[in-house]
Amino acid sequence: MTTSKPSGRRRAASVISVVGELLITAGLVLALFVVYSLWWTNVVADRHATKAANKVRQEWAGTPAGGPARGLDTLDGIGFLHVPAMGRNYEVLVKKGTSTEVLNEGVAGYYTEPTPAAMPWDSVGNFTLAAHRDGHGAKFHDIDKIHTGDPIVFESKDTWYVYKVYKILDQTSKYDVAVTDQVPEESGRKKPGRYITLTTCTPVYTSRYRYVVWGELVRTQKVDPQRTPPPELR
Amino acid sequence: MYGWIWRHLPGNAWVRALVSLMLALIVVYVLFQYVFPWAEPLLPFNDVTVDNGMAAVR
Repeated sequence: MTTSKPSGRRRAASVISVVGELLITAGLVLALFVVYSLWWTNVVADRHATKAANKVRQEWAGTPAGGPARGLDTLDGIGFLHVPAMGRNYEVLVKKGTSTEVLNEGVAGYYTEPTPAAMPWDSVGNFTLAAHRDGHGAKFHDIDKIHTGDPIVFESKDTWYVYKVYKILDQTSKYDVAVTDQVPEESGRKKPGRYITLTTCTPVYTSRYRYVVWGELVRTQKVDPQRTPPPELR
Repeated sequence: MYGWIWRHLPGNAWVRALVSLMLALIVVYVLFQYVFPWAEPLLPFNDVTVDNGMAAVR
């Protein structure tokens, strides 16, 4: 008990013990932050993304084929990205924008700035996407499992867009906005075409650099009433 | 600091332990719900887009 007046020595000891406790507390808070970033944000984002994906699926099921123009309901999401290289049943909802608020919902976002993305159904252009590498759903965590020649499939309400990966850039500056150009010359293509670009951060757990995957449209396939996936996804 | 809190909690050791646990849970809740979501965008761990540096800070 502190009934007796502490001497200078005891006062110093108590100051040191408070500082020590504060340091331990800071360590615990940092450890909790890691738990939050790598686990809790995934829980929250996946919950959110599942709900959002179901909503889009329901809307699609509720409206007859060839109803409203594609891409008008950009607020809910324009479709799903399938990348078999990142998992057999891998699919992620694609929404408009690459702001933190959008990406933190556990979806992939298409760029609106600095270079706005072209939509897959546009006759030419680059469909540029970003998603988290870690935390918040970590939808592009396994982007390094994608190899040249792998298919990437985008599913809209009425069409499967089948892309083939032709170039991977495993490290570039975060200011390298040219990778999202409508004709991504950094990938070696000089002519307008129908491209897809995936960007995320690298190496894992940091965002020092950006990882870029480019693909080119191979073919499209109409969605049938059973939504039978194209052979690339089977 | 923690000793001071312990001495100022009411009841016997069991009640104090229970109250301490609840206080710790409240702190974790506040961190997860308010502090970490605020701090995360300020830290350079999770930027995934390319940009020209102007839109980097949100």
